[in-house]
Amino acid sequence: MPAGFSALDFYYILPELLLTGGAMVVLLLAVLTPRNDNLLLGVSLGTLVASVLSVSLFSGLDVTAARGLLAVDSFAAFFKFIVLLSAGLTMLMSAPYLRVEGLKAGEYYFLILCATLGMMFMASGVDLITLFIGLETMAVSFYILAGFLKPNPRSNEAAVKYFLLGAFSLGVLLYGMSLVYGATGTTSLQGIAVALSGQSPSMVIVLAVVLIGAGMGFKIAAVPFHMWAPDVYEGAPTPVTAFLSVGSKAASFAMLLRIFVEALPAVAADWSALFWVLAVLTMTLGNIAALTQSNLKRMLAYSSIAHAGYLLIGVVVGTERGVASMLVYLGVYLFMQLGAFAIVVAMRRSDVVGDELKDLGGLFRRSPAAAFMMLLFMLSLGGIPPTAGFMGKVWLFGAAVDAGFVWLAVIAVANSAVSLYYYLRVVVFMWMHEDAQPGSPLVFGPAMTVALGIAILGTVVFGIYPQLLFEQAQAAAGTLEGFSATVALR
Amino acid sequence: MAEALAFYTLSVLILGLAVAVITTPNTVHSVVFLVLNFLCVAVLYVFLQAEFLAVIQVLVYAGGIVVLYLFVVMLVNLGRSPEEHQDPRRLGLIGLGLSGAVLLELAGIIAYSYTREQSPPVTAAQASPVQGNIEELGWLLYTDYLIPFEVASVLLLVAMVGAIVLARRES
Amino acid sequence: MDFIWLIPLLPGVGAAINGLLGIRYFSKVLAARIACATMGAALLLSLVAFLELLGLEHREHVVTLAHWIPPIPLETASGIGAFEVPWAFRLDPLSGMMILIVTGIGFLIHLYSTAYMDHEPRGGYVRFFCYLNLFCFFMLTLVLGSTFLVMFVGWEGVGLCSYLLIGFWYHKQSASDAGKKAFIVNRIGDFGFVLGVFLVFYTFGTVDFREVAEAASHMPVEVAGFGVVSAICLLLFVGAVGKSAQIPLYVWLPDAMEGPTPVSALIHAATMVTAGVYMVGRNAVLFEHAPMVMTVVATVGALTALMAATIGLVQTDIKKVLAYSTVSQLGYMFLATGVGAFAAGAFHLMTHAFFKALLFLGSGSVIHAMDEEQDMKKMGGLKYYMGTTFITMFIGAIAIAGVPPFSGFFSKDEILYRTFLSNKWLWGLAVVTAGMTAFYMFRLIFMTFFGDYRGPGWKHEEHGGHAEEHGHTWHGPHESPRLMTVPLMVLAVGAFAAGFVGVPAALGGGNAIEHFLEPSFVATSASHAGEAEHAVAHLSHGAELALMAFSVLVGLAGISLAYHLYVRRRGQADRLAANWSVAHRVLLNKYYVDEAYGATAIDGTMASARGLWTVDRRVVDGAVNGAGWLTRALSWVSHVLDKYVVDGLVNLVGWICQEGSYLFRRVQTGLIQNYAVATLFGVFAFITMYLVARYVGV
Repeated sequence: MPAGFSALDFYYILPELLLTGGAMVVLLLAVLTPRNDNLLLGVSLGTLVASVLSVSLFSGLDVTAARGLLAVDSFAAFFKFIVLLSAGLTMLMSAPYLRVEGLKAGEYYFLILCATLGMMFMASGVDLITLFIGLETMAVSFYILAGFLKPNPRSNEAAVKYFLLGAFSLGVLLYGMSLVYGATGTTSLQGIAVALSGQSPSMVIVLAVVLIGAGMGFKIAAVPFHMWAPDVYEGAPTPVTAFLSVGSKAASFAMLLRIFVEALPAVAADWSALFWVLAVLTMTLGNIAALTQSNLKRMLAYSSIAHAGYLLIGVVVGTERGVASMLVYLGVYLFMQLGAFAIVVAMRRSDVVGDELKDLGGLFRRSPAAAFMMLLFMLSLGGIPPTAGFMGKVWLFGAAVDAGFVWLAVIAVANSAVSLYYYLRVVVFMWMHEDAQPGSPLVFGPAMTVALGIAILGTVVFGIYPQLLFEQAQAAAGTLEGFSATVALR
Repeated sequence: MAEALAFYTLSVLILGLAVAVITTPNTVHSVVFLVLNFLCVAVLYVFLQAEFLAVIQVLVYAGGIVVLYLFVVMLVNLGRSPEEHQDPRRLGLIGLGLSGAVLLELAGIIAYSYTREQSPPVTAAQASPVQGNIEELGWLLYTDYLIPFEVASVLLLVAMVGAIVLARRES
Repeated sequence: MDFIWLIPLLPGVGAAINGLLGIRYFSKVLAARIACATMGAALLLSLVAFLELLGLEHREHVVTLAHWIPPIPLETASGIGAFEVPWAFRLDPLSGMMILIVTGIGFLIHLYSTAYMDHEPRGGYVRFFCYLNLFCFFMLTLVLGSTFLVMFVGWEGVGLCSYLLIGFWYHKQSASDAGKKAFIVNRIGDFGFVLGVFLVFYTFGTVDFREVAEAASHMPVEVAGFGVVSAICLLLFVGAVGKSAQIPLYVWLPDAMEGPTPVSALIHAATMVTAGVYMVGRNAVLFEHAPMVMTVVATVGALTALMAATIGLVQTDIKKVLAYSTVSQLGYMFLATGVGAFAAGAFHLMTHAFFKALLFLGSGSVIHAMDEEQDMKKMGGLKYYMGTTFITMFIGAIAIAGVPPFSGFFSKDEILYRTFLSNKWLWGLAVVTAGMTAFYMFRLIFMTFFGDYRGPGWKHEEHGGHAEEHGHTWHGPHESPRLMTVPLMVLAVGAFAAGFVGVPAALGGGNAIEHFLEPSFVATSASHAGEAEHAVAHLSHGAELALMAFSVLVGLAGISLAYHLYVRRRGQADRLAANWSVAHRVLLNKYYVDEAYGATAIDGTMASARGLWTVDRRVVDGAVNGAGWLTRALSWVSHVLDKYVVDGLVNLVGWICQEGSYLFRRVQTGLIQNYAVATLFGVFAFITMYLVARYVGV
C-alpha cells in the first residue's frame, strides 16, 4: 500500500486549506488588533473569496482525493458555492449587528469560518467518517454561535437547547452509521453501495436508514425532529439564525444526498417512503404552525421548516432531475431566506429589537426601500412569479409530478397556497398597519447594502433568467453517483 | 463462549452503571459511577484487542475529564437536587415508554436479523503493513484518515475558542 | 409592433419611480404627473399598436422578449414534453381590445384620481398612485401574456394590488377585513387555476395559448363524457369564478368597495374582475370542446346575474348597488361565453367597462360632493347641484338599462339573442335580470338626483378665509372639479357610442366587433374551414327584432317602475319596505272609494280616464307589492347564503388553520426533554412503520 499523501491531494483540498488558514489569521488578528472590526471583516471575506476562486479551479472535475475520503466533483462544488456565499452574506449582515450588540468580531468570524469549513467537508465527503467530522465541526461552531449573545437569556437557552438536542440526535445518527458499518464492514459510501448491491436488504439496513434519517432530519429540522428549531432560531443572534437556516441546512442536505443516494441505492424504495412521510409532515406542520406566529424570527423559523419539507421532495423523487431541482431550490432559497433575515437584522437598532411582526408596522412609510425588498423576499418565499421562488417551486413540483408523485405535488401546491397567508401578512403589516414605535431610522451601512443587493439580485435574476442556476444544478446532480441503478429501474 | 460471557457481563455492567449515573440523587456518587462506567468500557476495548484505546479511555476519560467533573461538583455546591425544579409539563412517562419501545424494536430487529436472515460475511479490515496496535492506529490516522484527523484538530480548536468565548467575563 | 412590451412596462416604471423615490421626496403634483404621463404614453402606444394590428393580415403578433423557464423535460400524456416558457406577449384582436380598455380607462381614472384623492396626505397620495400604476402594469401583463404562466404573473399581481388597494385605508377595520376576505376567496380560485394550468401542460405539453388551442382543436368534442378537457376547463373556470366574483365566490367584491372609489371603478368594475371572462375567452377553443362545462359556465353566469340583481334592488349604499350590479353584469358575460358567444361576452365586457367605470366615477363624484356620504337615503335632488355628474351618470344608467341606441343595448341584446338560441330557460332568467337592472339603476338615479335634498345641512360660509385653518370644511353639495368631470364626460361619450361597433345585422349593421374578434376564438388551422357552421341556428331578422323589442320593453318597464316608486309616488317604496299596517291599508282603500265616487259625478271622458287610473293603480300596486315581497324573500335567501354558507366556509378554513396552529404552540413547550421525546417518537413511529410494512404486509 502506498503511504501518505501526494501533492495532488493537497491541491484538491486547497479551498479547505485556504479557509482554515484564513480562520487562523482571523483568530490571530483578533488578538493583535481586537477593535479593528473592518479589518477582521475584510480578511474573513477575502478568505471566502479566495476559497470560492479555488473551488472554481476544479470545475468540471470528477475525482476522489485523499484516499477516497473526499470527492472533487460538481456536486461538491455546487454546495461549496452555496455555503461560501451564505457565509459571505451572513458576515456582511453581521457587521452592523455586531456593532449594535457590542459583540467581539474576531471570535465570531472565526467561528463562522470554521462552521463553513465543516459544511464544505459535508459537501465533499464520500466517507462516513469525513462526513461525520464535518458535521461535528459545523455543529460545535453553531452551538457557540447560538449562545453568542451572552447577556441575553434567550440566547443562552438557545445554545443549551441546541447543544443537548444536537448531542442526542448525533447519538442516533452515529448508531445508524455504526449499524451500516457493522453490516458492510466499510465506511466508504462507494464500498457500502457495493456491499449492499445484489442482495435483498436486511432489516438492519432499514433500521439504519431510519436512524440516519432521524439524525439528518434533526439537522434539516424536519418534523418531528424539528422541535429545537423555533426556539433556537428565535434565541440565536439574527445573522446566526440566517446562517443556520441556510448554510447548515444546505450542507446537511448535501450530506443526506451523499449518504442515501450514493451509499444506499439498494434500499431506495425504503428511504423514499420515509422521506415522503417526512416531507408531507414537515411542509404541512411547518406552514400551519407559522400561521399564528407573532415573532418574525420564529415565523421565519417555521417557514424554513416548511421549506425543508419542499426540499425533501427532491430527495423523495431521488432521480437526477429530482436532485437537480432540489439544488435549484436550495440556490433560490439561499437568496430569499438570507434576504428576509437581512431585513430583520436591519430592523435591529440601538433602541429597537425589531424582531416582532408589529415592529414592521408602517415600515413602508418609514423606509420604502426596505419594505419593497421585504415584499420581494416574501413573494419569493411564497412562490409568486416572477420571483426566483416561483422558479424553484415549478421545477421541484414538476419533478415530483414527472416521477409519479402527483399527490406529493398537490399537497405541496396546497401548502404553498397556505403559506402565502403568513408571508403576505408581513406585507400587510408593512403597508396597512399603524406605525410601530419609530426608534432611530433604518440605515443601511455599506456591508448591509452589499448583502441586500446580492440577495435582491439573486431573487430577481433567477426569477427572470434562471438558466444559469439550472445548468449548474444539472451538472452537479449529474455527478452524484448512484443514479445508474435508479435510472435503470425507471 | 467465555468471550461472549465476558462481553455480556460487561455490557450489563456498563448499562447498569449508566442508569445509576442518571438516577443517583447524590452528584458525587453519580460521578463515581461514571468513572466505573468508563473503566468497564476500557475493559471492553481490551477484549476487542484495542489496547491503545483502552489506555486512552482510562487516561483521558476516567483520569482527566471525570476529575474535572469532580472539581466542578465540589466547587459548585448545588443546594438542591435538580429533580426539585422539575416542570410538570414534562412527558417523563411517555418518554420512558417510548425509549423502552424503541429499545425493544432495536433488540428484536437485530436479534432477528442475525439469527434468521442470511447476512453475508463481513469482509475483514484490510491487512495492515505494520504490526502492533499503536503503530497500526498511527499508520491509519496519518495515511488513510489524515483529513478527518486534521479536521478533528480544528474541531478541538473551535471547542476551545468556544469555551473561552462563553466563559470569559465581559470587560 | 415589437414595442408592445413597453405598454405594460411604462406603468411599471412609473410605479417603481413613485414607490422608491416618490414616497420620500416627491410632491403630490409630481407623483401624479409621473403616474398620468406613464399611463398616457401607454395609451398612445396601445393606440398605435392597435392601428397596426388592424393592418395585419393574420391579426396576430407575438413578441418574445427572452426565455424565461428553460426547457424542463416533463412527462405528459403524450410522452415527454419540454416545459418551456418564454416571456412572450401576444397582440391579437382580443388582447388589442383589452389593452385599449385598460390603458384608456386607466388613464382617465388616473386623471380623475388626481382630484379625487386630493384630501389624502402626501404620503398616502403618492402611495395610491404607485399602487394604481403597479396594477396597470400587472393587468397589461395579464392581457398581453402569450402563455398561461405569463398570464399567471399578471393574475397574481393584480390580485395583490387589489388586496393592497381595498385595504388602502388600513386604519378602517372594515377595509382591512375586506382586503383579507378578497385575498382568501381569491386563493381558492387561484388554486383551481394553477391545477388547471398543470393539467393543461400535462395534456398538451405546452402552456402557450395558441398551441393549446391548436392541439385542442384536433381533439374530439366531449359531448357525452367528462374528459380531460372538461376537467381543465372546470379548473380554469374555478379560477375565473374567484377572480370575476361569480357564485359562490362573489362575496368579496361587494366588500371590496371599502377601497377608494377610483379603485372600485378601475379594478372592481372595468378591468381586473373581467380577467376571468377574458381568460375563458382566451381559451375559447378549449371550452368549446367541453360542452358540459359550457353549460356550467352559462348556468353559473345566469344565476349570478339574477341573484346579484335581486340584491341590488334593495341596497341603499350607492357603491353597494353598483357593486352588485357589477357582479350581475359579469354574470351576463359568463352567460355569453357559456352559450358560445365569446365575442358577445367580450363586447359586453367592453361596453360594461365604459358605463360601469362611468357610473362608479360618477358615484365617486357624488360621494365627494356629499362629504363621504354613501347612503342614498341621505341624498336626493342633487341634479340641481351637480349637473355634469347627473347628466353623465344618467347616460351611464340608460346604457346599462339597455335602451337603444346606447352601448349597453347592443351588447346585452347580442347576449340575450344568443342565449335565446341556446337555452330558453336561461334566456328567461337573463330577461328578468335585465328588467331588474333597469329598475335598480334608475332607482339609484332617482334617489340620488331627483326629489328633495335629504342630506345634512351645512353652514354657509361668509367668505371667511380662516376656515382653511380648521382643516376641511364642507360647504354643501357641489360640482366636482374639472379633473373629475372631464373623465366623466369622456366616458359618457364612450358609454353612448361604444355599442356602434357591434350593431347586429338585424338592424342593418355589420356586427363589426364580432368579425374583428373572431380570430381570437378559433384555432388557426380550423379558421379557414368555414367555421361559421357552428353558428347553428338563426332566427329571421323579424324574430330577432321582436326579441330585441321585448328586451327593450322589459328595460323600459323597469325604468318606469322605478320612476313610479321613487319619483311619481315618492315614499311608496318606504311604505312597502315598512310592511304596511292594516290601518294604513284601510285608509288607502277608503281613498279609493272616494275617487271612484267622484268619478261618477264627472263627465264620461274623465270618468273613463279615472277608472283606468284606478285600475292602473290597483294592478300596479298589487304587482309592486308582490314584486317587493319576492325581492325581499330573494335577497333574504341570498343574504343567508352569503352570510352562513359562503362566509361559513371561508371562516371554517381559517378556523381549522388557526386552531391547528395553536395546537402546535401547545406542543412547543420549550422543554428540552419533551423535544427529545418528540424525536424518539419519530424514530419509534418510523421503525414501526417499516416493521409493519415488512412483516405484516400492507
